[in-house]
Amino acid sequence: MFRSRLLVKSGEALMLILLCFFIFGPISGLVLWSVALRWYWPHVLPQEVGLDYWLQALGLRKSLAIGAVSITDSFNTSLIIALIVVAVVMVIATPVGYVLAKYNIPLKGAVLLLFLMPQAFPQQPVFVNLLLTFNKWGLAGTVPGVMLVHLMVSLVFAVWISSAAFKSIPPELEEAARSVGASAMRTFLRVTLPLAAPGLLASAVFVFLTSLDEFTGTFFIGLPFVTTLPMLLYSSSGYNLQFASVIAIVLLVPSILFMVIIERFLKAEYIGGMGV
Amino acid sequence: MAEVTAKARRGRGGGFLPFLLLLPAVGLMLALYAYPFVSSIYRSFLGSKGALSVANYAKVRELYWRDVFFSLEISVLSTALAALVSIALAAYLRLSTGWFARFIGAIYRFPIFIPFVVVAQMMRTFLAPHGLLNIFLAQIGLVNIDAPLELLNWKGLTFGFVWKQAPFMALIVLSGFEMVDDTFIEAARSVGARLPQVIVRILIPMSRASISVALILAFTSTVGTFTLPYMLIGGQVPTTVTVDIAHRVTYFGDYGVANALGTLSYLMVLALAIYYLRYTVRKGIYEYQEG
Repeated sequence: MFRSRLLVKSGEALMLILLCFFIFGPISGLVLWSVALRWYWPHVLPQEVGLDYWLQALGLRKSLAIGAVSITDSFNTSLIIALIVVAVVMVIATPVGYVLAKYNIPLKGAVLLLFLMPQAFPQQPVFVNLLLTFNKWGLAGTVPGVMLVHLMVSLVFAVWISSAAFKSIPPELEEAARSVGASAMRTFLRVTLPLAAPGLLASAVFVFLTSLDEFTGTFFIGLPFVTTLPMLLYSSSGYNLQFASVIAIVLLVPSILFMVIIERFLKAEYIGGMGV
Repeated sequence: MAEVTAKARRGRGGGFLPFLLLLPAVGLMLALYAYPFVSSIYRSFLGSKGALSVANYAKVRELYWRDVFFSLEISVLSTALAALVSIALAAYLRLSTGWFARFIGAIYRFPIFIPFVVVAQMMRTFLAPHGLLNIFLAQIGLVNIDAPLELLNWKGLTFGFVWKQAPFMALIVLSGFEMVDDTFIEAARSVGARLPQVIVRILIPMSRASISVALILAFTSTVGTFTLPYMLIGGQVPTTVTVDIAHRVTYFGDYGVANALGTLSYLMVLALAIYYLRYTVRKGIYEYQEG
């Protein structure tokens, strides 16, 4: 009995080590490269480390020697796009989530279908044809054009997450408020909205990250004039490994923070609809 | 009385208000998604003179046929491997308790939230001939230091997809496994079922819906992913359809062939997409009626 327990435990330990290597191996490569000043094959670790590329990327130092440029402009572009997209998406997606959760409308199937299609089919051809339309409207290569693409991509997630948030509120609570004389608007503002708030917050965070990390749509609509962080990462990954690694880590940090936030605010049921 | 009217209002559809609330989002989706989606199929059948033709598909047949099958092969292989990893992981997390299981349960989700562009950059440095993986394997003596593994091809692409998709699939599969009541597992164990039997005969059959959803979403996402193949293998031969589409558009401005390739990528996922859409739309309508 004791021996089989030991066997199970060492099996688990082996699995844990393999899993850790599988998950953290690729990530640790990024961290090492972001601080590597000199790293020649076949050395296991960089021969010389330092924060030179970090300082240069964050605009704290300017040196021509290491050929890295600053990320601050791209960071600001990404941030402005993401914040505006979050604001617009929350305003137009939250009502849809509410209607889908609380009303039995005609053609509901068609509306559900419209908001599920982007998950069920590849999106790249849509971006390609959007580029043709945006060329006509003068939106190609502009920040508003990129915002519209991010809007389309993240709207779907915002609708599903907010719909789940509203669905999880028992209708009895709203009916109780109505029965003691509260108006429909007051019931929504004082009962429904506060109860849905954690889900809506999660939705906003998710939209923010979707916009911040969006690559394919920005590639077709934004290049070469709109350089978001993922575009800068892409363009530098060919010639400056350290700089690309720094940007990759800058994009990673919000996703780690997000993990912490969902641990604290979200029930497991939301996450299923999220990572998609 | 008030309760009755509230219920009636909910059931009826609430008149005009819901439509007003839907209007902006639905309008945007029609303009920015549905219209380009339909026109991608329509334009794939437009010849150079604007008449309907299959010339674009003939060109795909001539130039990109190998890539069409490469995309399909990579997607099937990665999804199958990710399914195996995710089911094993989910089964372990469902059936184990204790320190190890809790720790693994905390860390396995990590890749789900990492964007593809970062995954691509990671894999480029990790899998390169002089990358961390080769250095590590050389250190423990599995690889000759002068002949490192060449992984920046279909192998690395598959590894990258599995890395990103397996945890996501495990999350969905685990939510299915957790719905299986403990009594079923205990009953099977008490009549002598071993661990593999519990997984194959109890957990998997009882979570068929979650497993299908996980498979479909992972496969569709893999077929449609542009970032990872573009940054990892780029214009190598063979490459994926998504890379070809980008080349066709950015180098040649050839939207006809790009759309023919795009339409073929819709076809690759068509059966699964229809199954998923029917399942989810029905569930959405049914859930409302129930609640």
